[in-house]
Amino acid sequence: MNNQSSTVSLESVTKSFGEFTAVSELSLEVRPGRIYGLLGPNGAGKTTTIRMIVNITAPDSGQIKIFGRAITPELQDRIGYLPEERGLYKKMKTGEQLKFFAELKNVKGKEAERRVDQWLERLKLAEWKNKKSMELSKGMQQKIQFISAVLHDPDLLILDEPFSGLDPVNVELLKKIVLELKAANKTIIFSTHQMEVADQICDDICLINRSRKVLDGRIREVKRGFSRHAVALRIEGGDGVLEDPSLVASVKRHADELEVLLAEGASAQSLLRRLIDSGAVMGKFEMIEPSLNDIFIAKVTEVA
Amino acid sequence: MNKFLAIVRREYVQRVRTKFFVFMTILGPVMLLIVTVVPGLLLSKKFGDTRIAVVDQTEGTKLYESVRNSLLKRDRNDQMVGASGVAEAANANAKERLEQAGKSVSGSFSVEQVNLKNRSLAEVQTELNQRIGRNQLDGYLVIPPDILQNSNSKTSYYGRNVNDMITRGQIEQRLNRAISRQRLIDNGVPERKIDDLAKPIVLATYPINENGQEGAKDSGAGFVMVFIIAFLIYITVLLYGQVVLGAVVEEKETRIAEILFSSVSSLQLMLGKLIGVSLVALTQMAIWGLAFVALSVWGISMLEGKGLEGLSLPHLPPFFFVYFFLFFVLGYFVYATIYLLVGSMVTTTQEGSQVAMPIVFLLMSGLYMAFAVIRSPASQFAFWVSMVPFFSPITMTVRIVSQTPPFWQIALSYSIGVTSVVLLLWLAARIYRVGMLMYGKKASIPEVMRWLRQ
Repeated sequence: MNNQSSTVSLESVTKSFGEFTAVSELSLEVRPGRIYGLLGPNGAGKTTTIRMIVNITAPDSGQIKIFGRAITPELQDRIGYLPEERGLYKKMKTGEQLKFFAELKNVKGKEAERRVDQWLERLKLAEWKNKKSMELSKGMQQKIQFISAVLHDPDLLILDEPFSGLDPVNVELLKKIVLELKAANKTIIFSTHQMEVADQICDDICLINRSRKVLDGRIREVKRGFSRHAVALRIEGGDGVLEDPSLVASVKRHADELEVLLAEGASAQSLLRRLIDSGAVMGKFEMIEPSLNDIFIAKVTEVA
Repeated sequence: MNKFLAIVRREYVQRVRTKFFVFMTILGPVMLLIVTVVPGLLLSKKFGDTRIAVVDQTEGTKLYESVRNSLLKRDRNDQMVGASGVAEAANANAKERLEQAGKSVSGSFSVEQVNLKNRSLAEVQTELNQRIGRNQLDGYLVIPPDILQNSNSKTSYYGRNVNDMITRGQIEQRLNRAISRQRLIDNGVPERKIDDLAKPIVLATYPINENGQEGAKDSGAGFVMVFIIAFLIYITVLLYGQVVLGAVVEEKETRIAEILFSSVSSLQLMLGKLIGVSLVALTQMAIWGLAFVALSVWGISMLEGKGLEGLSLPHLPPFFFVYFFLFFVLGYFVYATIYLLVGSMVTTTQEGSQVAMPIVFLLMSGLYMAFAVIRSPASQFAFWVSMVPFFSPITMTVRIVSQTPPFWQIALSYSIGVTSVVLLLWLAARIYRVGMLMYGKKASIPEVMRWLRQ
């Protein structure tokens, strides 16, 4: 019973708008207490997938289960959603606005107020509580929107491009909160096309492109499967070794280091041994792990 | 349910708290007064007298004196037109003293006599035309010599401004009065009996209901009430239709819709917004209503204190008022949901206002149909028109007042109306939810049809 253990599970879900297929035959499992990265270029079908998960649209075919059950309005209250298209009531005071959003998730009056104060304090916005949202900077508004997604202490938090347009200090602040929520055993779905951030916080990823899943799994495994056997080097001497075609496929020269792509069947260990034997002075020897960005670009262009 | 109430509360509190609401509540009646009363006042107000010369060609200028008197004397109709009649009458006294030889001055006309004195009519007319050109005169009347003997004889008026229908009407009526009077005298009717004989009759009307029972004398109050209802629906829709539209578009413009839809259904949101705005409307109208009642009570007691009586409210059967209320509410919701529907299809308020234009025409055509219905309230036309939900709030009230139709017709008309409201609401919610997923794009009709199937 795989569904029992998954917070969210999609089974060959398809959704089309007229002629256009936004999501096709998508299956994925989001496990509890983990950060799941839903990655893909613009227009890949991320937002449509999320909208189906939060029950804004229904799939044409396939099955979606949240907390092991088909979605109901009650289950919606256990989900926090920060959409990519987001805004605030311009003329409403920040505090009232957040309280309203909490009430829409069935958090009652006094408790809602307590949480609003707590979160505003947390995100250093306490003095803005009685200001209209139109008076807030864009970054502040974005933090308010973030609060509206976590205010009701959801078990599943879905964040669609949560950091876009935020300054690095606030990105770190929100990242810290996301990691804390994960530590509190909340499940987080994190959708973005910014691979650097996903690289830093995701446990599992799913890469979709042109409405289809390209790859998914634990981020470690995905990267291992993508290993290109490359080494970053900073050395003096040892030139002859790098020209051996049985060992080295190619060498790229960067500013102060070399990127060495190993030949088929050669290992990093044997290269290291040969370099030491040749008397080269070693400044740096490091296995290069492919970044999510590399994988993303490779996979997306491959399909194209 | 809690979520729904939260939406209603937010909608209500946010709107009632605005300065605009307070401003409109205070200024609304003032503006209404300006719109309804001022044009009437302006129309009745004439700036300065109309200076008229009379060329009387009858034998011995026999008619001039009575024409002059008639023109200077107010008649019944003038009392209704001239709201400032009292002031004018007071002025007339002062002006009377300025009266010059051969010229009479009154509140609205000054009259002078022009004799032919052996000149030809053409010559005199040329001279008068020149005086009009120099703005020494506003117009002149030419009375033909045979006016008293020949009933086909025509009197002519020449003037600078012949578009002033009120003045033209007054001249015609007063001239007519003078000439008819003279004709009667010439035919041997004693002068003192003329007024009595020419007195208009009074037509009293009594309604008879479907059971053949005769009712109390009709005061015309029902008719007036119908138009008050129609006017109320009209004003309310005009005032709050746009508000409903704006409320629905708000979440799209601010891009909050998606956040909301992860918590509530679009039907909950739509209904919540509609109810919220309606409560705002109700609050505002209640304030206006109470102010109006308070003012009328105060006004009536003031007038009674001055010894004026007979100012009781028009007598209507109580069930009329129940129907009035029910159909008013129906009318409001029929049109509010149409605005809701428009709001669900468009992306900005401006765009919405354009699309919403025809709604006002729909509303007005209901009003025009009411005129036809009141003349034959039992006709086929009246029946069908009172079944159409866009018209029934006005046309059915007209029928109820003028000739109460069988109960099943009223019930049917109302059910159709309520069903339409529910249907429109459902439709709007559905279009809103699908439309929300595509920002920045107005929905075309085929698209909307497709969305409905999704």
